[in-house]
Amino acid sequence: MSLLRFEDVRQSYGAEEVLRGISFEMDRGDVEVVIGPSGSGKSTMLRCVNRLTEVDAGTIYLDGEAITTPDTDVNDLRRRVGMVFQDFNLFAHRTALGNVTLGLEEVLDYPREEARTEAMAQLERVGLADQADSYPAELSGGQKQRVGIARALAMDPELMLFDEPTSALDPELIGDVLAVMRDLAEEGMTMLCVTHEMGFARSAASTVSFLDGGQVVERGPPARLFESPANERTGEFLERLTSLHGGEQ
Amino acid sequence: MTTVVALAVGEVGLGVVLQAGDWAFVLRNAEFLLLGAGITVALTLTSVLLGLLAGLPAGIIEVYGSGAVVGAVSRLGVLFRGTPLLVILAFTFFVNPVNVGAFEAATLGLGLRSAAYQSQIFRGAIQSVSEGQMEAARSVGMSQVEAIRHVIVPQALRRSIPGFQNEFTIVLKDTSVAFFIGLAELLTRGFNLFTQTGQSTAILEVVLAVSLVYFVLTVATNQGLDYLGRRFAVPDSGGER
Repeated sequence: MSLLRFEDVRQSYGAEEVLRGISFEMDRGDVEVVIGPSGSGKSTMLRCVNRLTEVDAGTIYLDGEAITTPDTDVNDLRRRVGMVFQDFNLFAHRTALGNVTLGLEEVLDYPREEARTEAMAQLERVGLADQADSYPAELSGGQKQRVGIARALAMDPELMLFDEPTSALDPELIGDVLAVMRDLAEEGMTMLCVTHEMGFARSAASTVSFLDGGQVVERGPPARLFESPANERTGEFLERLTSLHGGEQ
Repeated sequence: MTTVVALAVGEVGLGVVLQAGDWAFVLRNAEFLLLGAGITVALTLTSVLLGLLAGLPAGIIEVYGSGAVVGAVSRLGVLFRGTPLLVILAFTFFVNPVNVGAFEAATLGLGLRSAAYQSQIFRGAIQSVSEGQMEAARSVGMSQVEAIRHVIVPQALRRSIPGFQNEFTIVLKDTSVAFFIGLAELLTRGFNLFTQTGQSTAILEVVLAVSLVYFVLTVATNQGLDYLGRRFAVPDSGGER
């Protein structure tokens, strides 16, 4: 059974229809990379999975269970689905360690010491154990994002969502974040990533989806989609992306 | 200050206005006045506390609440901000069907009015915390209440210290209007001193002494809250979103 399944998902902001019938599924351990022009609905699609945005029609299933129904336990769903934000959104008043322990203590009810031990293990995992006592304002962008990843991982999620995790970073800081994401992929984490890092998509993605105008225009393994896109719009978009050295701000 | 002292000892010929004898009168009654200052401090603390206990939830409701509750809270705020303090005290003391003492009535009036202003301080501070903080808290599975308590309020409180500092000193000075309902706070006691038979020449000395006490209390309060702000400060790049 697939871990995540979209079934004809539609979403509108006012009169503008952002998602126009998205359907796809991914298995446990899959890494799905979503690419597409600005305004194509990539972020909205991601945010529908943990209900930061509500769908208007269609259904999303997590591990076979519909999660877009009114009686879904939203807090439990979000505990099971980790999210990494473009702007990091670290809790500004807490240290790196405090960012990771908060969910452990408040959501998973860990005692203080165990939360600390577990959080240190997660910071270790992203290579930031030595920055445990630093506040967000004292960290570089790349370090902030790795704390953001550790904060999400601490909840032991079944699925991780990455919303343009490197788009706000200086080029020289992107590598560390991508390395952590690659490690995660190799460990078998199921990941749904909105990113235009072609190198990451090539080496880590099982599937790449090209989103345009709120629809999945084309979907396939990265090698196939990048080398010989079947759709004209996919080809044009990839060409523009390549001419910008694979970056989009 | 030195001028005042000089005037006080009558060296510059203004002895008619500022007489050493009148300062001696003030000193003889220092304990009486300081007891009044104690009541002023107590009234400030109870009023600001009531204002905090009602104003913080009100500010939170104005930002995150929905429906009729928000309307009710914001209308109450408009009402208390739009009514003169003396009129509020007339309600809490003279009109109040429950027979309460002047201190309780003053606390209620000053506290509710302060709540109306504090709610706006907290509302602004909460709104200045970026939406992403709430989303991040919710994304790890916290409820809205948990997110408000552990992520939004701790940041908002730090940002509300300057506004709170203002409000605190305003309440401190406004406790003097409890004179109106006969509470024996600092100003009332000063008034009682210089209206004693034969003490009309001491009016300036008494009022100066009273205002000096208010001034010292205000400065001390500000420094205390400054310390609080530094104590709980976290590194802030100003750009953290």
